[in-house]
Amino acid sequence: MAPVNLSHRRTHNLLLISKLLSLRDTASPLTLLQDSLEQPATPLIKEYIRRAKLSKVHVTFIAFETLKKPDGVDAFVSTRRKSPAEIVEEVAAVYQPASATGPPRRRLIIIDAINPLLSSRRLDPAFHLPSFLGSFIAPSGPSTGKAEASLVVTYHQDVSALPQQNHYSPTPLSVLTYLATSIITLHSFSHILAQKAARDRSLAAPVFGLEEEQDGVLLGRLDKLAGTGAAEGIVLELEHRRKSGRGVLEWYLLPPSSRYSPQHVKEVVTLLDDNVLYNPPMEPDTNPDEDEPKSTFELGLTDRQRRDREGVVLPYFDAQHGDGPGEGGRILYDMGEEDDFDEEEDEI
Amino acid sequence: MPSQPPLPPLLTTYLSKQPESSLTLISSILGATSNWLVLRYLYAALGTSSSPNVTIGSDELANGVKRKVVLVSFLRSWEFWRAEAKRLGLDLARLADKQQFAFVDGLSELFNTPSTASGAPTNTGSAVRTTLPLRSQPGTVPGRGPPSTVTAERLGNEGLRQREPGTAKKLHFTGHGVAALDVMEKDIIAEINRQKSSMAEGDEMLLIIDQPDFLLAATGASMGIGATEMAEWVTGLQQHAHATVLTLAADSPLIHNASTSGIQQSSPIETEHAAFAIGMAHRARSVMQLRTLETGAARDVSGVLRISRGGGWTGEAEDNLEERELLYYIQRDGGVRVFGRGES
Repeated sequence: MAPVNLSHRRTHNLLLISKLLSLRDTASPLTLLQDSLEQPATPLIKEYIRRAKLSKVHVTFIAFETLKKPDGVDAFVSTRRKSPAEIVEEVAAVYQPASATGPPRRRLIIIDAINPLLSSRRLDPAFHLPSFLGSFIAPSGPSTGKAEASLVVTYHQDVSALPQQNHYSPTPLSVLTYLATSIITLHSFSHILAQKAARDRSLAAPVFGLEEEQDGVLLGRLDKLAGTGAAEGIVLELEHRRKSGRGVLEWYLLPPSSRYSPQHVKEVVTLLDDNVLYNPPMEPDTNPDEDEPKSTFELGLTDRQRRDREGVVLPYFDAQHGDGPGEGGRILYDMGEEDDFDEEEDEI
Repeated sequence: MPSQPPLPPLLTTYLSKQPESSLTLISSILGATSNWLVLRYLYAALGTSSSPNVTIGSDELANGVKRKVVLVSFLRSWEFWRAEAKRLGLDLARLADKQQFAFVDGLSELFNTPSTASGAPTNTGSAVRTTLPLRSQPGTVPGRGPPSTVTAERLGNEGLRQREPGTAKKLHFTGHGVAALDVMEKDIIAEINRQKSSMAEGDEMLLIIDQPDFLLAATGASMGIGATEMAEWVTGLQQHAHATVLTLAADSPLIHNASTSGIQQSSPIETEHAAFAIGMAHRARSVMQLRTLETGAARDVSGVLRISRGGGWTGEAEDNLEERELLYYIQRDGGVRVFGRGES
């Protein structure tokens, strides 16, 4: 079963991630990237921008913590000292539909970190996260030359959220995971390998960085494997909700950007299960006939012995006839010619 | 023990090369403070020009870039930095005169209303504090050559008395919330611009902010200041400098209590500090983490320095930042030896 399954996943899920990262068919209007200090989302965002450039998508970068405009971004919106409404306005303003006649240019909006907004002290208590995010995707302006917009939001999992003001409302993270059409959780490949190695030995999986809870340690990531170049890359754990409501779960590996040229068009992401380091190829089985243990006893059965054995009616089958109490469950044995009946010991 | 070069050779690349608009985060814990590392950053930026035996012509670094530093300190006074820098052979008072260095004092009058008089009653607290880090011995680093210790000391003392009002711009926290931060930001930017006025094309301005987490801890939610506001404040300052170095405390209770909230409710300061420190690590290009040895105290090791790439590391080819873990030892004379594990 497994190989069939894998080849099925290979075709379908690789197509899916390619569609998601290249923003084809607006497969996912709202993508949530959950990153941590151990594996920041920066490389994945760069990959998004790279692909957007290749397919001529307009990229807007809403910077909550980035200072400098990243390469390849069409519009850079700084959010310092701005209210959410002002941000929405500015994001809508930086995009001009090229022409009324031509097909509208697709649009990618990246929020580099949503945490500062969510924990801001100046935030209006009436701030509504779903409508804030929704206003990017579906601008309710008079400009009906509607562009298909995809929103990519990064959430730092390790930054602690403020305690809820309203105890009955869900946390921002639950709202985000509920709204998102795809959720990508990022992991460091070397950590995934270390955890798998531990799991294979039935050991507790190691933890890194903040989870070590060691005094003075913020980051545990040391690229010890960088020299070999083998374990570089990012593991993407994707949860995608299809329009039909069916969910897709898959693990992918995104190689470091130094491995391919910026103009590379073919898909670079692979399934994690296809990776040689994660899933080393099995040793091919040697001749299956020789796998019986060697012994001086003959452990096999002859054909006749097998036929006789199958003919034995086991007592619990007999008991089901229900011939009355005490009648079921006898051991019925037909004497064979080689049996030596001893009147004193044996009874039937 | 032999005297050490002011810049440990293993750290030179990390200390001297700061890409544009990069943020470096230095995290420290109680047992492993970050002063020595900040001083090395100061030396890397200013060191060559302050050394008196080189001529004026070699003011510039090898690549012809002149550097200026603005140091904003919230936990330590001018006197402390001046004395400690002197042990490295850096005369901060003289550099301040030459408009290469500026000190912004966020400690002594942060919450005191500036009095129009000499400020004697309000200053008593800080006066006590400033005497503490004074060393009885000027401790010139051997091999630094002549300025004689006497003149250096005399100059320094004079400098302190005469120049302190001018050199050390003092920050005041007045008002509430973001408005109060804005006032401080404006003060610091004014100081940066004053330095910039004498800058030539291609010169670099390094901004060092020492322990701004103190500001967060001292104000907090009741003043309308949280992690986001502090981070925005840092961003505002970053925009005016070539590169920024930030030191923060990363002691376990300040970082980890907020995340393990299942057991007990974490206090606001724990939540805010963790959010601020981790948020800053997400922005930083490199994170220098200082901590003590896990195995306990050792006679010849003061602590461990782990250099990691932060969330803001771009991963571009020209920005290669090697991650590594090193041990360091602070000698009695203030010299620091940095070495790998197993080396000595």
